[in-house]
Amino acid sequence: MLILSDFRLHRPASLADALLLRAELGDEGAVYAGGTELLLALKMGVLEYEHLIDIKRCPELRGVQQVDGTVRIGAATTHRDLETSPLLARLLPALAELERHVANIRVRAAGTIGGNLAFAEPHADPPAMLTALDARVELAGPAGVRELPVEDFVLGAYETALGDDELVTAVVVPVPPAGVRATYRKLATLERPTVGVAVMGEVAGDTFATAPAVVVGAVDERPLRVDATPLAGASVRDRDALEAVVEAARDLVDPVDDLSGSADYKRHLTGVVTRRALEHIVDPGSPS
Amino acid sequence: MPDELKVVGHSVPRVDGPAKVTGRAPYALDLTVPGMVHGIAVRSERAHARIVSIDVEAAEAAPEVLAVVTAASVAPLDVRFGHVARDHPALACDRVMYHGEPVALVVARTPRAAARAARLVRVHYDELDAVIDAETALQDDAPLLHPDRVAPLGDAGLDAGAADLTGNLCAESTVGWGDVDTAMAAADLVVEGEYRYPMLYGYAMEPYNAIASFEEGTLVVHSTAQHPYMVREDLARMFGLPLARVRVVVPYVGGGYGTKSYTKVEPLAALGAWVTGHPVRVALSVEEAMLTTRSDGAHIRARSGFAADGTLLAREFDVVMDSGAYTDNSPVVCAKLANRCFGPYRVPAVRVRVRSVFTNTVPASSLRGFGAPQGALAGELQMDEAAQRLSIDPVDLRLRNVVAPGEEILPRKRGIDADLAEDLRMLTGSLGWGGPSAPGTGIGFGLTASDAGAHPTSVAMVRLHADGSASAAVGATELGQGSRTVLSQIVAECLGLPFDRVAILAADTGATPYERTTGASRTTTLVGRSLQAACADVRRRVREVAAEVAGVDASAVVDLPAGVSVGGERWDYAEVLSRWFGAGGELVGVGEVRRAGEFQAMPPFWEVGASGVVVDVDAETGVVSVLQLTTVGDVGIAINPVLVHGQDLGAATMGLGAALSEALVYDGEALANPNVVDYRVPRSSDVPDRLELLLVERRDGIGPFGAKGSGEGALNPIGSAVAAAVGRAIGVFPHELPLTPERVWRLAQERVGDVRT
Repeated sequence: MLILSDFRLHRPASLADALLLRAELGDEGAVYAGGTELLLALKMGVLEYEHLIDIKRCPELRGVQQVDGTVRIGAATTHRDLETSPLLARLLPALAELERHVANIRVRAAGTIGGNLAFAEPHADPPAMLTALDARVELAGPAGVRELPVEDFVLGAYETALGDDELVTAVVVPVPPAGVRATYRKLATLERPTVGVAVMGEVAGDTFATAPAVVVGAVDERPLRVDATPLAGASVRDRDALEAVVEAARDLVDPVDDLSGSADYKRHLTGVVTRRALEHIVDPGSPS
Repeated sequence: MPDELKVVGHSVPRVDGPAKVTGRAPYALDLTVPGMVHGIAVRSERAHARIVSIDVEAAEAAPEVLAVVTAASVAPLDVRFGHVARDHPALACDRVMYHGEPVALVVARTPRAAARAARLVRVHYDELDAVIDAETALQDDAPLLHPDRVAPLGDAGLDAGAADLTGNLCAESTVGWGDVDTAMAAADLVVEGEYRYPMLYGYAMEPYNAIASFEEGTLVVHSTAQHPYMVREDLARMFGLPLARVRVVVPYVGGGYGTKSYTKVEPLAALGAWVTGHPVRVALSVEEAMLTTRSDGAHIRARSGFAADGTLLAREFDVVMDSGAYTDNSPVVCAKLANRCFGPYRVPAVRVRVRSVFTNTVPASSLRGFGAPQGALAGELQMDEAAQRLSIDPVDLRLRNVVAPGEEILPRKRGIDADLAEDLRMLTGSLGWGGPSAPGTGIGFGLTASDAGAHPTSVAMVRLHADGSASAAVGATELGQGSRTVLSQIVAECLGLPFDRVAILAADTGATPYERTTGASRTTTLVGRSLQAACADVRRRVREVAAEVAGVDASAVVDLPAGVSVGGERWDYAEVLSRWFGAGGELVGVGEVRRAGEFQAMPPFWEVGASGVVVDVDAETGVVSVLQLTTVGDVGIAINPVLVHGQDLGAATMGLGAALSEALVYDGEALANPNVVDYRVPRSSDVPDRLELLLVERRDGIGPFGAKGSGEGALNPIGSAVAAAVGRAIGVFPHELPLTPERVWRLAQERVGDVRT
């Protein structure tokens, strides 16, 4: 029977109070936002905490704002808030589209973007996309505020650069310049993504202006950037250049056999999804 | 619809609809009993081990704990249950037989206290060799799982197969006639292959739960049981009580599908109550339910011999079922698989052997379809493979061999009460078979007939009240299928009453008459018939008393809708009762169905399966999308068409789960996916956009107004149909389900042969 063991629930009403609790409780306290991963892990006995710090009542941690060429997303903003945000739809449509397809409606209604990054479950959608978009994670702690690129924040499976006395306060995503397109393609054989590939790049006329950012998520423990230099300046009809990047993606990943598929199959899928993501950048009407 | 029917044949709204959609309908999990406490099972972490000792002191000393119940602590009570063979202990006795088996029950004042204390119970094991795979379990040197065999109970209503079983055989069934070897030798084509159907968890929204208490010497249980009368027998045996002193009450059930057939958690709750003297609730999580019952996986070796013109000459099936740790209902599934695998065809020579095998895995029991989906995967796919190799259209091949209405499928059994050829034509017409098809798509379809209804014992009672309204008492359970609605319609029609003047009381062994099971798609047909008989009986009483009151001969009283004519004068029921009793009163009618007369021949009816799909296959990823689903509901008459549609769509969708994504997977000695995140059941978004739920109403069933059962048929051919459709799309017929993307991708890689689309 899955039943939570006892814990004390703290409900700070401000970021300052939340940080005080973090400093006081250290690794005995878990940050609790949507709880979509944490509560399950607690019920299964995989994690145990004596204290939970519920940050949902800290107003500083919610909402989507446009700030100086970036979109600043409060860490406790839910996936549902993001999929329905007009601002996100206008400035970061590919991220909004991704959010529409995260897990299921129940998870999206509760789960948060900050929780998603901080829990660092490898089989997740947002980290690859945020990496491709050069997003940064804003962390607050006793020493003040610092920012880290998403790819430096996620260190491995369930492992991040977050300190015991810190909180993720926001995700800051640069708004891509005009002409730059982004996309995320994924394949899920079970509930979570088996392979997800994010691409951001500029197609000018019929050539790639520069090498696009290509990031493979959900296969390895953390998102991996694929070397896409063969596409820099290449024609969109240059199948050899495209296949070279597909090949690079396939070679880069180090999948393992699990319920969602064998390593072989996931390596193969990495190539397929990478190709489809690149084709989608070139032709947004191409089939998924 | 013939206009003499007023209520039957119409999609009247469900009687339980408003209560269910507003959350007011009571399920077992909603009930509370004063003084109720909670039991939580401590489960085995070994697949096969001797129990050396169980330390319960720390758990018993924990706050709010009343008792820790073990098999040893209740000795000499025999905690085993089982309706075929009584070999399944509610709590493991000296050995654990599978990972997840209940070893102890912690009873505490709250579920949390029980769960916390359960973590303090320490079980010391002496590990034994385990056998997880059925083929391995059949080998001579395999560990023997049931060295001391329990003799079967010998229930005459259960087709349980052979008696003298050895080794790890749980059951064995054989079917055969004709000279298979000679026929195969003479065949122009012999199709041969191995097929695998997965072991499944039949996901229901409500997991198993029960509340048990001993009240004035009677064991009272509220539970999610599909077959409360069968559970009553198990509990009576366990506690040495007469049937009259065991009362099993089943409120609304959140999904059955056969997974709630027979006894599950009722003994655990009853043992908790027996030890503590309190009413005890045992309510499982979905994860625990997955450790309670599953369906039998099957490995099928099949051969089919054909003449060049497509005529079936012989079929041979050798099937191994993985039946898990205990007998439960697997022998009956085994017998049904044997009856159903060769299909509704005229086959001159048949040889079938099905072996059900014990393994150290979650015990298997009933699940919707009951052997038919497993058998059809091989049987129907071989029809498709033969058609391809003989260059005959697979529809024509089936039409050449399918039984005609009234013809026997099994010797000396009831002839088929359906026109399968016509059903197949409707099905394939709807699917666009023979027309153009897009690249990467494929059409697949299948035909099955199941010997349904099970042993036909059903007793019903109808009470005609002083105001002329009627209530009926039946033992059938409402699992969501809509039985209370359909049975209300039958009573209303028979008594000539408006639908809203009828009520049903159901599934309380202390108050309602006997119903053997709510399974095998039987309720509309068999309970419907016993209710019809009860209605006729109460109408006879009405005529009798009206004649006596009027002082006329009984022949002068004639039935009218909702009343009688007495010498030409209309008396409604209320008037008859008023004249008879003066004040108040009621007339009671009883009816029954038993295995005699028109119900002597088995099965009571055949349940037809005629379903098909159009799929699109992304060969690069292996992802299969179902574009269209067609079902043919050959139900004699749809007493409530919308409910038949619901049954057919639900059954077919469940079949799509097994076809595409569902399989319980063992990783070593434990399940690798014992939760519904990793075990993927279909969602509403997986239901195809194009649905054709066809109804066929030929009034050819034995049930009321010509009805026959529904609810499983649409599922049975789905696995083979999806496999055939995928096969036509990628060029090679798959033999193993589920067709996960990886499996399809691998098949597409090793494409052999050429399949016409």
